[in-house]
Parts: sequence; structure tokens; C-alpha cells
Amino acid sequence: MHAEHDIASPKDNINPKRPKRPKTPRQPMPEQDPRRRRYNFEEVPRGYSEEAARLEASRCLQCKNAGCIKGCPVNINIPAFIDLIAKGHFAEAADKLKEQNALPAVCGRVCPQESQCEAGCILGKKGDPVAIGRLERFAADYARNHGHEPPVCTAAPTGKKVAVVGAGPAGITVAGDMVRWGHEVVMFEALHLAGGVLMYGIPQFRLPKEIVQYEINTLKKSGVKIRTDMAIGMTQTVDQLLESGFDAVFVGTGAGLPSFLNIPGENAIGVFSANEFLTRVNLMKAYDFPRYATAPIRPRRAITVGGGNVAMDSARTALRLGAESVIVYRRSLEEMPARAEEVHHAQEEGVEFHLLTAPKRIVTDDRNRVTGMECLRMKLGEPDASGRRRPMPMENSELVIQADTIIVAVGNQPNPLVPRTSSGIEVGIRGTIVADAETMATTKPGVFAGGDIVSGAATVISAMGQGKQAARAMHRYLVGDEPPCV
Amino acid sequence: MSQINLTIDGKSVAVEPGATVLEAARRAGVAVPTICDHKDLSPYGACRMCIVEIEGVRGFPTSCTTPAAEGMQVRTASPELESLRKRTMELMLSGHPNSCLVCPHREACESMRPKATKAGRSTRCGFCSNKEECDIRTMALEAGSRDLNLPTLYAAHNLERGDPFMDRDYNLCILCARCWRICEKIHGKPAISIINRGKDARVGTAFHKSHVHSGCTFCGSCIDICPTGTLTDRFARWYGKPDAKTPSACLLCPEGCALIAQTHSGKLVAATMTAFQSEASLCALGRFGMAQIVNASTRLLRPAIRENDEAFTVDWDTALDSAANGLKQHAGRVGILISAATTREERHLYARLAAGLNGRFAVVPTLPVDPLPAGQGTPLPEWLADIQSGKITALILGGDFLERELARSLDFLLVIDGLPVRVQDQADVVLPAALLAESAGTLRTAAGQIRSLARISRAPGQAKSEWEILRDIGQKLDIAEMHFDTLQDVTAAITDDAPPASFPGRPRQDVFSLPATYRGHLLADIIPALSAFGLPTTYDPSQEVQPTEGFELLEIRELVPNMHLLRIHAPQVAAHAKPGQFVILMARETSERAPFTLADWDAATGSITLIIEEVGRSSRELISLSQGARLAHVSGPLGQAFPVERKGTVVLGGGCYGIGAILPLARALKEAGNRVISVIEGSSAYLLYWEDKIRAVSDELRIATKDGTRGTYGGVQEVFQEIREREEDQGAAINMIVAVGCTFMMRMVSELTKPWDVSTFVALNPIMVDGTGMCGACRVSIHDETKFACIDGPFFDAHGVDWDELACRRGAYAREEVEALPQTVDLNTLMFPETAKQGCGCGG
Repeated sequence: MHAEHDIASPKDNINPKRPKRPKTPRQPMPEQDPRRRRYNFEEVPRGYSEEAARLEASRCLQCKNAGCIKGCPVNINIPAFIDLIAKGHFAEAADKLKEQNALPAVCGRVCPQESQCEAGCILGKKGDPVAIGRLERFAADYARNHGHEPPVCTAAPTGKKVAVVGAGPAGITVAGDMVRWGHEVVMFEALHLAGGVLMYGIPQFRLPKEIVQYEINTLKKSGVKIRTDMAIGMTQTVDQLLESGFDAVFVGTGAGLPSFLNIPGENAIGVFSANEFLTRVNLMKAYDFPRYATAPIRPRRAITVGGGNVAMDSARTALRLGAESVIVYRRSLEEMPARAEEVHHAQEEGVEFHLLTAPKRIVTDDRNRVTGMECLRMKLGEPDASGRRRPMPMENSELVIQADTIIVAVGNQPNPLVPRTSSGIEVGIRGTIVADAETMATTKPGVFAGGDIVSGAATVISAMGQGKQAARAMHRYLVGDEPPCV
Repeated sequence: MSQINLTIDGKSVAVEPGATVLEAARRAGVAVPTICDHKDLSPYGACRMCIVEIEGVRGFPTSCTTPAAEGMQVRTASPELESLRKRTMELMLSGHPNSCLVCPHREACESMRPKATKAGRSTRCGFCSNKEECDIRTMALEAGSRDLNLPTLYAAHNLERGDPFMDRDYNLCILCARCWRICEKIHGKPAISIINRGKDARVGTAFHKSHVHSGCTFCGSCIDICPTGTLTDRFARWYGKPDAKTPSACLLCPEGCALIAQTHSGKLVAATMTAFQSEASLCALGRFGMAQIVNASTRLLRPAIRENDEAFTVDWDTALDSAANGLKQHAGRVGILISAATTREERHLYARLAAGLNGRFAVVPTLPVDPLPAGQGTPLPEWLADIQSGKITALILGGDFLERELARSLDFLLVIDGLPVRVQDQADVVLPAALLAESAGTLRTAAGQIRSLARISRAPGQAKSEWEILRDIGQKLDIAEMHFDTLQDVTAAITDDAPPASFPGRPRQDVFSLPATYRGHLLADIIPALSAFGLPTTYDPSQEVQPTEGFELLEIRELVPNMHLLRIHAPQVAAHAKPGQFVILMARETSERAPFTLADWDAATGSITLIIEEVGRSSRELISLSQGARLAHVSGPLGQAFPVERKGTVVLGGGCYGIGAILPLARALKEAGNRVISVIEGSSAYLLYWEDKIRAVSDELRIATKDGTRGTYGGVQEVFQEIREREEDQGAAINMIVAVGCTFMMRMVSELTKPWDVSTFVALNPIMVDGTGMCGACRVSIHDETKFACIDGPFFDAHGVDWDELACRRGAYAREEVEALPQTVDLNTLMFPETAKQGCGCGG
């Protein structure tokens, strides 16, 4: 069993106040036992205790030229917040985070820290980097659980009105900043609940929905009006928003159009996009069927195609719905885009990995229901444009993997509703909105964009980073000046 | 006594004195059509289908009521009889929705849609849950004629869905009187009878009382004997005709009644009497409850153990090891507390386990609610006090009998049950048990009889038969007395089990003395409808959140049977709606996101109008709302607007909800300068609506009915054919065709117009989840390319649609859609709203 108070102790740490060469090992994250968690939707990592958090924070060297900040898409002053944790000022640490990051409790859970802040940590050169993500989560959770709210900078009302289209990570960031800076903000959401991918996509066991709704409520309390059930592009267009009195519009509608494999049998019963599979469970709460009316998927043996975080989420959700769960990925473990931690969790819980295996055709019965998937074995060739070794099919290597459910998690394209219905917004080849790299301004005056609708399917934090940039630029656009506070 | 000899259609036959002519005919192997006749009922002569000619007897006597007499010369077939029977059948069917029987497309439609649609009102066979078992449908199909000459009268009685367990739709009733005759036969004093006179005659309770207070015992015999879809079992009705019927018995109280278990696809869906006799009657719980218990969504699925205060699921072997280890450590201090609702074999094994562990053993009897206040006073054994004193340190719990406080004093708790108990999170080991019809065995009734229980329903998840669980624990504990290979060996080992005490109530005669619990679980928690009989429940309906924000329902009414008009305040939709678009509605926060086509809107008042047909849970939730109520969510307009251009002559076809959907199309296309011919289709004349509205925005309005009661006999496709011929005669052409309706109708139109080379559009209706392009649930193949109906549609080129794929995908959740239907008694707003106006029922 993983005991919750499992704290690694510093070895011969002679001078704990100013450790020159810290000996405290990276504090492990207490986790729910895999035997238990593979059948429940509760969060897997339990979070640091105060003691473990302070110990972990004490490892930080407080570098002057902090590599971690450079790795952070929203430039959090990481050494500063960690120092506050080390000193036991947990709420203040959360305030420090909030200066740059609207959603620290979310980012502390879902950011790929190993390739961002923690990749820049000097300790990582010789050993384990400081667990920045876990500390971020700790501080944010502490503040939430203690009802602590960050001091709000109270800028005078500017009289300007801003529309935020899409209530996902990018939109939440923009709305949070703009309302603080004195603008009237209305956020539009197409679905019946705000939160975007944080609500419909990322599962409960990785990001509890209560946390997302807490953040949404915080936004509401700060004055942001949230209008759900409003699909901009359909209910109203961006052009109409501008005509109806909004001075600027931010488009953060995400990459919500699932890609499929384009192989035979893909429209058979039992083939789902990861979005559909996860939406039914997360947003529509089909696990509580029949109290909730949306029909649940009841997989007995599920294949998830793909190697990203969404694939891991889908495979682990299938497992929790009672299925034997298999991942089919055409490259090897090394090339997998999913976070190492997610892959590790999936393996721990018993997800089977079929690597170097590519789907060829979906096998169905006479009622067009899935019975399996024919695959090809692959080998790795020369690196391709992405720098990853290109998978090549091996001849006569066909095999059929039995399954009654197939979840396609091979990425998403930008949602076409806004690009399709707005005038003057330039769209790139793959359907993304073209935006200035610095200001996130689109080709239409007064319209800014950020997140997956601009970058294609990426991460929560990069969407938030673009939201930050866009907010500053929008403020300048509206009042011709820098924001009154961070 | 000597036999009576008579001749039927020239065949000599001998029968016992007292036999009827009908019986004699059957003896002679001559088939005579009947409806009201039933082998378990005395002759009644209501339907008059069984008329015969008897030499020397005037007129056409009913053979079911005429005693056979010596030397009778009987003819069962003659031109006069045929003509009279046909007229009788026509009369019967004029009062029973019959459009499917006469529809020219019946065969094609039923081959594509073999299962009935889960409609609120059965306005045709295709909407009737009794379709596969209907006697009059069978009779009409055997008669073979599609030629019915009498007008169809739809009585428009309210649906009666406010009682537990049964749905009643007297619009289907043919007054054969089987229901009240069987009620009288079984209960002596029938709860129902024919009320009113003449064309207002119908079956009902005295003074329109709810069945709960009418003396009805909910034995279900009326449902089981009804030859039509009038009376149905709410839980079982949409699963389809049972594929197996197995004799078994009821374990829910010590009466231990024999019954017939009905299963569908390996799952119990209902239990019925073994015979239509008073002695064989069942109580409401036996008849309806068992299926709902075994199919409960809260069933325990996997074995689980607790270590370091953390519970997790494990495989059976690990769980059994944990169970055995825990018990071994506490040998001599173990208590076993189980329910009387167990088999003899299970109790026998528990007793041997108790002996092997040198522990205490008690069986908690099943009691009615009456003497017991909610959840209190279950007679538990006195030795439970030993838990507090530490004399008992471990407990095997076979039901929800233990308070949390007492469980805290235990060192080891093993739960063996099929449903979650209050002390679930305090258990060290939880073993999921098969319940009731999921496991075999025998029971002894209070009267001392031994009855067999059949294993006919598949246990959920990894749940196992309790006797196997016990045997395995016994083996792990090396208790030699518990070594059995088969269940039969256990049965054989039982030598001296005393019959249980009789049940202190008369549940078969009185719905207010049903057992309150099953294995200690409050039955009304598992089967909410039981609370109508005063059974205690922890469920508090006032805790359900009613949306106070949201979208106000300005108007709701049933336009024609099963087709409801809803006008909703949704200014953001009304301001931007265009013809052909749809909205997503959620009646409550727990609802599905269900798409509905916009039938009309008014930007000035901010209202939208929808035509909603009740065909499942979502539509039912919506039409159950009252004026002034609020819908949790209205999202839209969604989908691509129909490309309204000037094409020339445009022919629109609308069927069912599609009649409403073509109104905005007709209006816009006419405004754009087209010549608009609108065709509306209904199964029967009484199902047509909005004729005037559509006529006002069309150059011509044509009507088609599937039973020929109005306009062209057939569907829109027949009218399209007529219009095309007429236009060609005049040297004109059709430039565009649009069809909106059920998948079958749109497919028929597509097949018709494919060779015409006229662009044809259909509005596709696949299953959707979000409706904004995010999930791809609604993908359809158009010219071999995958499209999302929500953002690329709903309108597509009909000739490119993969119709088989669409039909398949639409049926993907058939079983879940049935499971999602509400079983509670929560629809009082729907039923009896006009009771007060109906008078006393005496016909005066």
C-alpha cells in the first residue's frame, strides 16, 4: 500500500536553511492504489501533505536566472511561489500563482511539466527536478479548501464590452484578466456547462469537475457573465456580436472536431471518437445512467487507437467502465506524445499496450456491430518531419484484435463554426484561425483568438498562455494602454 | 354420461354434455375466429367473431355461447358468415388504430423497422408495444384484406400512467371484456368494469378512482389476458416478446408463490401467474417487482476487499481468501445474519458454516410494512448485542440489517449481497451475490410445500450464486461438512427444514400489506413505484431540483394523438433561426441533449415552436412539463439552414413531426419565388395537423394517409408520383424535392426520385450528443464520405445517403433507450387531468 504520509527524509542534510547541495529527494506523490482506482472515477494522485509540500519546496535553489519560468507558457514566478510554500505561507503562494495563472489547480494537474517548467529546473541536470506541478496543485488546493480568495486588483470600469467565445482554458484566462482590468465581459459557451475540454474531455480521475466548477464560479463572482447554450457561429455570429455593441471579441473555440482513421468499417456501431466516448461519461454523466438519460457505453473489450493524453484518458475510462482495455499505437513507447505519467498510470492500472501496430480495417458482424479490428505490425524507419521515426507497415503482418468497442483518439481539428460564419477572419490550411504570434490578433480588427483554434490540438496551458497574450493585446486595443495590474 | 353427437362443416364430432359449439368445432379440427373467447374464461359472446349457422336456428348464433346439442348441423363458413365477420372486424378495427394493417407499405416498413417505436400513444401497430403478441393484429393479417370500409374513430382517452407498474391506453380497447372478466374470476369482486354507455363505453374503475384505491391487487392478470396493447406492463413492455417462459417460484415472502418467469435475451423482464386462477394469483411485488430488483442499476458487480481503510475490487479468489482468513481469525466469535428471502440450500450452507465456525446464526423474517415504522423494528436476534460486548467480533451479513454504529464495533465484516448495504464502506470483504431468478435452488413455503427455483436470468457483472460463494468459503476454511459438488447434492443433504412462519399479511389480496423489504433493503428504494402503496422509502422527491432559471414553456398541447406542440421562450434562438435548423433541448439537468427541428419562431416575441412526438425518455420528459415550467436548456439554432433559392417548382413532403418541419421551408421557398407544392402525410386522417398553416404558405397542398382516410391512399411518395405525372402531362417539371419525416419515409422518397434526376433533399435524424460537431456521434455516409449531420446537415442529397448505415446507427442504443424509460409514478400531470370533467362514470 502507498501510505499517504510516505515522506522521503533528507539524508545527512546538515544545514537545511541554505542547502548548497540539496540532499532531500523529490517527494513522491501519494496515489490511489491501482487495484482500487481502476474501477472508480476518483482522482488518482492524492496531493501533497503540508509537510511533504514544504520539504519539496525546500529543494528549490531559488535560481536568479530561473530556467523554470522560461519553460512556463504563462511565465509564473515559480521560485517566488515555491519560496512561499517553503516558508509555510501557502495561501500567499496561491496568490502568487494566480497573478499569472487563472487556473493553477487545473494546471498543477494536467500540465506536461516534465517538458515545460520542470525541464528547465537546474536540479534536473543531475537528478530529479523540483516537483513544480505538484507544488502548484498543493497551493491551489490549499487556497480552495480554506476558502481563500486572491486579492483582486480593482481597476476602474473602462466602459468597454468584451465577448469571449468558448468557455475553455483560453477563454477562462481571457475573461479572468479582462474583468479584472475593468472591462465588461460576457463569455459564451455552446454546451450547457462552461469549462470546455476541462468539462467534457479530461476525466474526473485526472481533473475533478468540482474544481472546474469552482473556478467557473470564481469567474462569475468576479463579474463575468456566462451565457451557456450559445453556439457562436450559429446562435449569433462574431460579426453580429461586434454589431451588437461588443468592442472586442476573443475566439477560443478549441479543436473540437474529431479526426477519424478513414479505414473501412469506421461508421460501425461501437466505433466512437474519443470526444464522444469521454463526453458521454464526463459531461453527460452516463455512468449514472439511468438517472442521467444519456445512454452509457458498456464496453467489454475496448481498443483505443492513439498515443496521446486523450488516448490514455479514453483507455483508462474504458477500464473504469468495466472493460478490458487495449491501446493500439503505430509507433513505439518512445514516440508516444502522451505524458510519461499518464502512460505509467495506464500501465499500472492494467491497460494493455499494442505498440507498433496500426489499424487497417474494422471487423463487424452482420448487424454492423464491431467485433474487432484488423491491424498491421509496423517497424520504425527514418525520422519524418516531426522528428519521430516513421512507422512502416510490415508485409503480411495482419492480425485481428477482438473488441466490441473502438475509441478513435487520433486528434482533433479546429471547430469550424466560427471560421465558417465570420467575415474577414483568415483561416490557415488546416482550418486554424490565423493570429499574430505576439498579440493573438486575427485579420479582423477587434477580433482576437487563442488556444487550439489557433494552434491546432495542443495543451491546456499553451491555450492559457495565448489567452494571456491576447488579453494584454485586447486591453491595449481597447484603451491604448498597458493593463493596470498583472 | 353419454356424449353428444353433432356435425360441424360435415364432420361428425362427439363432445361432453355442456360443451359449446365452439368447443365442438375445435374438437372437429375446424378453426373459428375468436377474440373475446379465452380458455380460462367463461363464454361471453362480446366480439361476435365466432358466429355460425345452425340448421333450424334463426340468425347467426355465437358458437362460444351456444351449447352443443344432439344432431346439430353446424356450418362455420358461408358467404353470409364471411361477410358478417368481415363487417364485425371492421367495426372492431374502426375503434382501434389500424393504419399499419391497411397501409400499402406495411411489408417494406416492417422489414426495415421490425421493432415497434416506444411511443406514448399507440396510434398504429408500429407504435404499439404489443405488436408481436396482438390477437387482433394476427386475426386481421390472417384475414388478409387491406380493405376496411368504416371510418377510423380515435377515442382520444387520456393515457393512464399514474398507477404503479401498468400503463393503460383505452384508445386501443375493443371491449372484449377479458380484463374485467378475469378480474372477477380471480378476485370475485372486480376492480374494473365497463363504464359509460354506447360509444362512450370503456373499461374503468368505479368513480375513476386510481387503481391503487380501487381494490385492484395489481396481480397483472388483466395485462396478461388483454388481446391488445391496451393494458401493458410498464417495465417489460418495450423489451419485446419474451423469448422464454420458465416455471419457477417467488422468494420475496414466505408464501413462495409459483410463477412463470419471462425472460428476454437472458434477462428477467416479468413474472406471471402459472394459471388464470384465484389460487395462482400473484401479489404486485411478485408480478412486477422481481424483474426490477434483478435489473436494478445499483447491483453489486465485483468482489471487493478493504485494506488500510481503502476498499478496492479484486478477483474472486483473492476476495474468498480474505473472507476465509478473516473468519478463521474470529472462529468462535462469528455471527451470521441473513434474510429469509434465501433458498433452502443457501440457508443450509449458512447453518453449516455457522456450525463449522462455532458461531451464531439467525434468519431475519420478511415482514409487511404495516406494523413497522419506516426501517424500524425488524426483528433482529438478541445475540447482536454480543457485538457491543465483544463476544461477537466478526459478522457475515446477508442483507441490509446492520446499523453503522454496531458495525463499528466489529473487527471483521463480510457482506454477501446483491445490493449495496448501509454499512458497505465498513465491510472488510464484499461478495456480490446473484439474486432471485439468477440462481437455482428450492424453497419451502409457509404451507410446507417445496418449490424449485429456476436460474433463468443472467447475473450482472461477476455476481455469483450464493450457494457457490458459501461452498467456496467452506472449502477455503476446510469445513468438510461444506464440501459439495453440485447444488443437487446440497438439496439432498437437507433433511429437516421447518416451513417458515406464514407471512403476516395478505399481499395477494391487499396491496397495502406487501413486504416492505427484501434482504433488509427498502423495496421502495429499489422500485420507486411501490411508494404508491405506502411502502417506506428514503427517496424524497422534493429534493429533486426543478430548474428556476432556464427557458419558459409558454404553451404546450397535444395537437393530435402523440404529437405535441411546445412553444418556448428562447429569444436568442428566435432571433437567428433560419428554415431547416434545429435546437437541442434538455428538459432537466439530467436529460440527454436531444435535437428537435424548429417548426416555427417569432423573433418579435422571442418564442420558438416545436412539434414533438413522444417516442422515448427525452420527448416524454419534455411533454410532461406544464405550461409555465422551465426547460433547463435550449441551445440553437444549430445545423445548416436549408439553401433557399429560386428553383422553380419545389415539392415538399412532411410526415409525422416533419409536417411541422416543412412549414418554415414552404414559407421561405415561396417567398423566394418558387412554386411550392406541399404534401403532408399521416397514418390516418386524425393524425394530420397544421393543414391551414401549410396551405397558407404553399401554392398547393396535398394530403396522403396510410389508411386512405384522407387524400391519396399511401405516403408522400404516391403523391409525388401523381404530381410528377400531372406536371409531365402539362409539359412542366419538378425542380426540387424535399422530404422530412421518419427514416423509412425519406428512404422511400429517395428510391422513388433517384431515376427522375430531380435533386432531392432529406433532413437526416441520427443520434446526436452535443450537436455542435464535437463528438461525431451523428456521422452519416453521403456519397461514401463521412459527414456530421449536426454541422454539415441536417439536409443532404437523398440519393447519396447510406440508408442501411443510418438505420443501423439509429438503433445502436435500443436497449438503453428502453432501460431509460421512467418507471416511477411521476406523471400525474399527464393522467386524469380531466377526471373531474368526466363525471361519475355512470353514463348519466
